[in-house]
Amino acid sequence: MRIQEHPILSFERGEKVFFTYNGKKLEGYEGETIAAALHAAGIKVLSHSIEHLKPRGFYCAIGNCSSCFMEVNGEANVRVCVEPLKEGMVVNTQIGKGDLL
Amino acid sequence: MVLKCTGIPTNEDLERVFPSKERLEKGPIVVVECFQRIPCNPCHTACSKNAIKEFDDINNLPVVEEDVCNGCGLCVSKCPGLAIMVVDMTYSEKEAILKIPYEFLPLPEEGELVLGLDREGKAVDKVRVVKVLNTKAMDKTPVLFIAVKKEDIKRVRNIKLQEKEKKFQTACCSDLIEKNSKLSKDTVICRCSDVTLEQIRGLIKKGYTTFDEIKRISRVGMGPCQSRNCGQLVLREISQMTGTPISKLMLGTYRPTTKSIKLGEIAEAVDGGEHND
Amino acid sequence: MKNVELMVIGGGPAGLCAAIKAAELGVSVLLVERDRWLGGQLVKQTHMFFGSEKQHAATRGIDIAKLLIDKIEAMENIEVIKNATVLGIYEDGIITIEGEGKYQKIKPKAVIVATGASEKTLAFPKNDLPGIYGAGAVQTLMNVYGVKPGQRVLMVGAGNIGLIVTYQLMQAGVHVEAIIEGAPKIGGYLVHASKIRRMGVPIYTSYTVKEAEGENDLEEVTIWRLDEGWNPIPGTEIRLDVDVICVSVGLTPLSELLWQAGCKMQFVTALGGFVPIRDEEMQTSVKGIFVAGDVAGVEEASSAMVEGQLAGLSAASYLGYTVYNIKEIKQDLLHQLQALRSGPVGEKIRQGISEIIASKEVAAAAEGL
Repeated sequence: MRIQEHPILSFERGEKVFFTYNGKKLEGYEGETIAAALHAAGIKVLSHSIEHLKPRGFYCAIGNCSSCFMEVNGEANVRVCVEPLKEGMVVNTQIGKGDLL
Repeated sequence: MVLKCTGIPTNEDLERVFPSKERLEKGPIVVVECFQRIPCNPCHTACSKNAIKEFDDINNLPVVEEDVCNGCGLCVSKCPGLAIMVVDMTYSEKEAILKIPYEFLPLPEEGELVLGLDREGKAVDKVRVVKVLNTKAMDKTPVLFIAVKKEDIKRVRNIKLQEKEKKFQTACCSDLIEKNSKLSKDTVICRCSDVTLEQIRGLIKKGYTTFDEIKRISRVGMGPCQSRNCGQLVLREISQMTGTPISKLMLGTYRPTTKSIKLGEIAEAVDGGEHND
Repeated sequence: MKNVELMVIGGGPAGLCAAIKAAELGVSVLLVERDRWLGGQLVKQTHMFFGSEKQHAATRGIDIAKLLIDKIEAMENIEVIKNATVLGIYEDGIITIEGEGKYQKIKPKAVIVATGASEKTLAFPKNDLPGIYGAGAVQTLMNVYGVKPGQRVLMVGAGNIGLIVTYQLMQAGVHVEAIIEGAPKIGGYLVHASKIRRMGVPIYTSYTVKEAEGENDLEEVTIWRLDEGWNPIPGTEIRLDVDVICVSVGLTPLSELLWQAGCKMQFVTALGGFVPIRDEEMQTSVKGIFVAGDVAGVEEASSAMVEGQLAGLSAASYLGYTVYNIKEIKQDLLHQLQALRSGPVGEKIRQGISEIIASKEVAAAAEGL
């Protein structure tokens, strides 16, 4: 899903890092958002709606719509569309409203 | 054109029978739109305070003692010409109450939003029915208490319900709800709290016609997106179903904070960095 | 608490230009940006801009962003806080921000709100399936992070954003099945449309989404035609095999801070929603709060940049700073805006703005910050 060549843009990607998604080891680039890294791995379902647990992806990708809450390093309600990826991050699907630390 | 030719009182006509601004501000009072000398005086006889003075000649036009009339409205349903209404400018900061006679069925329900019409039958604005008085003594001339914008007191003189009901039938909404409920059931308006189009339409149908009302009952706009997604969709739905233009509708109240934040961060700032507070 | 002279909220084209202009007149500026970098939506605009030279016409958005950011960085009296969100504007004029786990109070003497706009959504069955994204979101994913949104895309909306993002999707190697547009006409610039048509992408006008299908994410979409009254015509359904729907049905001003601050707001369809009542020099009904860019009315980035300069100039002036030719500068900016909006595509904008330009009475009744 990554763009290899682009007529206008050259992508300055950060260092390759590894993170886990629901226990699975995935790779991404440091500094890109968690959502971008997941998307690049073909994962579109980021969260589930609170009432009916329907699958949700991001909608706005810039932190407005709050459709992409996930649990990151144990912290709930992280907007992964704007949260930068770091080495070793533990990213999990969140069920419900999430627990406070 | 003059009243004689059109049947519509002109502004000049109205000015002659409207109480002064000072008097209006003091409390409710009648406005008797009686411009033609005819033999008629039930208004006087209906008045327990003698605020509509006794007629020397029954053909005379009514004379209202402005300081005596308390706007009780007893005369409203007694005027054969339905020429009397009561104006109460003290109802609220922005709205006045008009008590108008209304002899049609169905009667509006209390709390219902109806279309306020002017003296030509043209739509002025949405108005709210506050009270429907229909006692035996009124003898089938009910009096509606309607809340109108203060600036509209000289314009609104009637109401219309049909507009809204027609809308419900002809517009997309009821078709979709009845025939194709799957569509609106699966259409998500509020992602944060999983509120569907079907639910929003149901609420509007029940009479919740402001964003704030719908917000309080359904939680739209109360989730982490703070109505950034659903706001416009809800307003459009209200507008389509009630006929109120979106420009006349409001979103809910915006309060800090624009996104969720941990209380700990605020506490930390108070303990730590805020020396000059 | 941090005391500052001028706080600019938002580091997009309007906010950057506002900060630069105010700083040029000597004002100490604090620029707060929610993202991790400055530039706002410019950072994903790979196409060349319209307008005149003064608005960097013929330069790509991404390059305009670089130009402006370089200027900001070169100015000593501009402090930039990135990765921080403004949480609220309070009655006493205090503004709270949060970023990287730190909560701060700021007390500015004047504020320029340049928060931009957010993407509107569209109501259709299963519109919440993953794979249904705002056009801007797709642009971010694609042009900032270099990730494709999917394989086959349906673009909803033939305004400028829809047309441009379609083109950019193709540039990224993604197949665009079609563009659909509810209106009977293409809303965006026809040159953009021609570019796409030349690439073989159909544009269906008077079409809208009937419903989306999919279990966990989008698998298929059905569109249908609208009659002149915007009612769908049964029997005209077309099924499209796509895994992405890009929703480009317009933007709406991101104005919650203005509501909080008590600015008088008005709904103007042509400007995208609720916008602040303001004077010609971009001051809202609350004295000391200025606006610029999409939050003041959704428009092109070129006008946002000019509005930003105008707001920066006005805020500087409000704070007591001036320059010998301030009148000429202001006239020039107003003239630029007029020119940008003078054509037939600017007609609605002109009309919309005429509805919100405040009369003198509003300005006189303005309350202090």
